[in-house]
Amino acid sequence: MSAPEDEVEIERGPGVAVAVGPLDGLLNLCRKNSLWYLLFGTACCAIELMQTGGPRTDTDRFGFVFRPTPRQADVLILAGTITYKMASRIRRLYDQMPEPKYVIAMGSCANTGGLFQASYSVVNGGDLIVPVDIYLPGCPCRPEALTEGLMLIQQKCEQEPWLAKAWGRTPEPAEPWPGRPREC
Amino acid sequence: MAFQFATVFGFLVVSGVALLVFLVAGSFLRPRKPNPDKGTTYECAEVPFGPAWFNFNNRFYIIALLFVVFDVELALVVPAAVVYRRMIEGGAGWIAFTGIFTFLAILLVALVYAWARGDLTWIRAIERGECREVEVGRKEDAR
Amino acid sequence: MKEIRDALAERLGTEIEWHEDLAGDPFAVVPPGKWLEACRAARDDERLSFDFLRNQTGTDVPADEVIEVVVHLFSYKHRHAFVMKTRVSRTDPVADSLVPVWPAANWYEREIYDLLGVRFTGHPDLRRLLLPEDWVGHPLRKDYARPESYQGIPTTRPGKEDR
Repeated sequence: MSAPEDEVEIERGPGVAVAVGPLDGLLNLCRKNSLWYLLFGTACCAIELMQTGGPRTDTDRFGFVFRPTPRQADVLILAGTITYKMASRIRRLYDQMPEPKYVIAMGSCANTGGLFQASYSVVNGGDLIVPVDIYLPGCPCRPEALTEGLMLIQQKCEQEPWLAKAWGRTPEPAEPWPGRPREC
Repeated sequence: MAFQFATVFGFLVVSGVALLVFLVAGSFLRPRKPNPDKGTTYECAEVPFGPAWFNFNNRFYIIALLFVVFDVELALVVPAAVVYRRMIEGGAGWIAFTGIFTFLAILLVALVYAWARGDLTWIRAIERGECREVEVGRKEDAR
Repeated sequence: MKEIRDALAERLGTEIEWHEDLAGDPFAVVPPGKWLEACRAARDDERLSFDFLRNQTGTDVPADEVIEVVVHLFSYKHRHAFVMKTRVSRTDPVADSLVPVWPAANWYEREIYDLLGVRFTGHPDLRRLLLPEDWVGHPLRKDYARPESYQGIPTTRPGKEDR
């Protein structure tokens, strides 16, 4: 399928660049180069997340910066083991992010519970709590792999029919935790 | 000269129109999906409890007020100090001295008053013996 | 070790069992009725002076129908260490809280309550520490069974049989 992004042509002159294309493609171009992720992590994969933002594997060159508040974040990276006590908090953070939002499950613990699957206090996977877009294996997931995961989110952004999504004409992801406790 | 005014007016009109264009275009191009979970107050992912408003500490106001007063005093004394030597040569040295001194003395009285009242101490000791115990995160507050 | 044994024997009489010559640390077992008194003696007696509670845990021993509460003590004054245990019944586990003796016991006892179900009388704030407040059951007991779900989250991954 030909994505709108394929038709955006960027002509670079001396000191100026002009992008011409369909509106969907232009908006996706802007969005994918500015995916801000929430500064959030629970366990060891969070250390790798911090390193991915560090100098060796720089995420800032893509335009990804971390934001401490979910109100300004596009991507929630589930970095680390998720316990039952933390599950409601993670869900609340996801709920408080504005659309469009994406979730990356980073590492074995966020994918399926990892090596703590049999534990009494560990949730067997982040996708039992929030809808996950990208699963990254690893224990811990390497910074290069997390960068690739973020680039896959970029590809997802490119191929999304942005205006249809913004105007509510694309289907919502299925609710993974219908029984969650709600205060309002 | 009228042309400069027209330039400023044009600038204002363009900036106002640009603002409107960005906001209107944004409202068409951005998703609008309000739901009650999204509207909850952010309190580091915990259920928010307690009021969001608290008493403003008026220590800031008092220190800022004293600063403004003495800043204005400085601004008024500096020109006098600059021409002081010339006034001494002109024979009006005592007049200048008395003027500056009286001005500073009046404001010094105000400073001493604020100081003696304890308005300048930033960290104040808790004089009452007990602190009220606050239970954080009680289960009743969560529902 | 001999001084500790003599001092404790002198303070508390013959109700204490001694276990030495083991692969691990030698320890003394105190009946639950004397638990607070024994720990107070351990802290206050001049020859013992155990002023530092290093650790406090519990063990479920279903073979003996008891739950053991274990304290590891250290003395900065005399630089000696010691282990004391008490055994409470498994069906109704109640023990005295050591918070009046060593305030550090506060969270240790909350953890033992959370994971083993031992209630400590005299504890100022006995509630769950690691698990959510509305969790049912005490996981470190040997007969603990995982609930099917917690607040709607399934405890086993759907489509995978539990090993």
